[in-house]
Amino acid sequence: MTWLRDVLVDLADDSPRVDLAERTIMLRERRRRTTISLVAAAMVVITALGATLTVRLLPPGPQDVATRPDELPARGVGPLSHARKIFCPAGAENCRDGSWLLVTRAGRKYYLRQALPSLRPGRDSPLAISRDGRKIAYYSAEENTFQVRDLASGQTTTAPQEIPSKRLGSVSRLMLSDDGRFVAFSKVPDLKDPALLIDMREGRTRELPNRWVPVGLSADGGFITLAEYSPKARLRTMSNLWTPSKSDHTTTVTLPQHYHFSPLAPDGATVAAIENHSTAKRPCRIGDLVLLDTRTGKKRTTTVMRGLPPGVTGVSLRTWLNADEVTVLTTTVRCRPASDTPTDKPTQTNPPNRTIHAYALNVRTGKTRKLATHITQDFSSIALPGPPGAQ
Amino acid sequence: MDRNDDFREFVAAHQQSLMRTAYLLTGDPHQAEDLLQTVLLKVLGRWNRLTRLERPEAYARKALVNQHISWRRRRVRNELPTAEPPDRPYASEDPLLVRLVMRQALMRLAPRQRAVIVLRFYEDRTERETAELLNCSIGTVKSQTHYALARLRDLAPDLAPKLAGLEPEEANR
Repeated sequence: MTWLRDVLVDLADDSPRVDLAERTIMLRERRRRTTISLVAAAMVVITALGATLTVRLLPPGPQDVATRPDELPARGVGPLSHARKIFCPAGAENCRDGSWLLVTRAGRKYYLRQALPSLRPGRDSPLAISRDGRKIAYYSAEENTFQVRDLASGQTTTAPQEIPSKRLGSVSRLMLSDDGRFVAFSKVPDLKDPALLIDMREGRTRELPNRWVPVGLSADGGFITLAEYSPKARLRTMSNLWTPSKSDHTTTVTLPQHYHFSPLAPDGATVAAIENHSTAKRPCRIGDLVLLDTRTGKKRTTTVMRGLPPGVTGVSLRTWLNADEVTVLTTTVRCRPASDTPTDKPTQTNPPNRTIHAYALNVRTGKTRKLATHITQDFSSIALPGPPGAQ
Repeated sequence: MDRNDDFREFVAAHQQSLMRTAYLLTGDPHQAEDLLQTVLLKVLGRWNRLTRLERPEAYARKALVNQHISWRRRRVRNELPTAEPPDRPYASEDPLLVRLVMRQALMRLAPRQRAVIVLRFYEDRTERETAELLNCSIGTVKSQTHYALARLRDLAPDLAPKLAGLEPEEANR
């Protein structure tokens, strides 16, 4: 090995570590679609010019709707695999901007027209899916409050009090209990109106602290686990939530570093978390996977994750698949330090879609296995069954 | 199985090696990313045909080098490092300074000369392999190597003794 080679190897060590596979596939697909669209448009123009009179005399043929989503039927919908928000490019026609699209495990897609669409920027409209995928909670545009819907029977339950849509905040979180009885809602910014825990069956509500993301609720709704990821990383547990006296017990622990938190683990006392090493100068840096005791904040295990593609810049922990595996969503979008972001340009309110991969992450071994690929704008635009994580 | 899975495997196996070469050729992380992205799009466009080749990465590497040369012919030279090497003499054993000086000097080479340096001395390719990758004769590779090393010695006079030692040894390969 020559001296020059040593120097060049040293220089090459500064090369960026990114995963370009998905970006390349997406770019090629986009170009292919654009080409097909242009060719198709040209064909349409030529055909239309040649046959205008004939076409006018013929009755319109049936539209091909086989690949298009349906309206959500009154009943008989199977369990969901996920839901995602629809974002429409500028000028798109017949596109339901900000609406939720429900996707069943069998691959059927349905528009949820009952839910209030999100607005960009400023108003989030959250959706939650029960852990078994059979129930959803959403903000009803008609009732001005949250509703829970059983997808198989079509039965809906409406929250006992109205919540003005202006209180939905720009970032909101919704959690639905396994049996669909309880809905927890919190949002940012935390103005004067509180976050809520709603008992849909008994028609009662209880206030919760804002900014805290609900990540777990006991079966009887009496014990909730909350996580806060910014400005500090904290975990909070609250018990005796429905007892009339002031006998609720709250424990709060502040953690020494930042994390991306998972929902509460099936054992009811642990969360998985991925270390967040991001700084203003070096954003989008993640560390190891840890298991944290929700009451004490004590680190139970630290595990190195294996099998994720190189260059992962963002993670979001979601559904627990079993006692050992939690879902992790990843993205490899390039991050720039805040100082590199132009300040003279307006904030991009409609960022492009990106590829988000879902993996099953074994919290004992750190091994991952690929589950699915989603195309959407960001982590908040996709809902998976079970409580949300906090990132 | 997704029809793109083979391509994903190919990228996972070779992108870091290609990215390192791209970075040495461009001297800039964002341009390196753009360069490799462009090449991978070409690779994906020809993927069905490339899978019949024994080593599809050879196509990607050749495309990378030639795309870089093609870009550099059209682009204004704007990728010089912002940090300047010291004006006064410095210790050629200081690795940080050596790196800074060599990076600056590499950026000042003509694109084909820089490609020759990267292929011959970083990737450790023979003159024949380098000639094949650059679509030129072995004689051109020899002369480009000679001129590139001479230019590096001019640009980094404090490192000239170390660079001078390279040519006779390499000329015999």
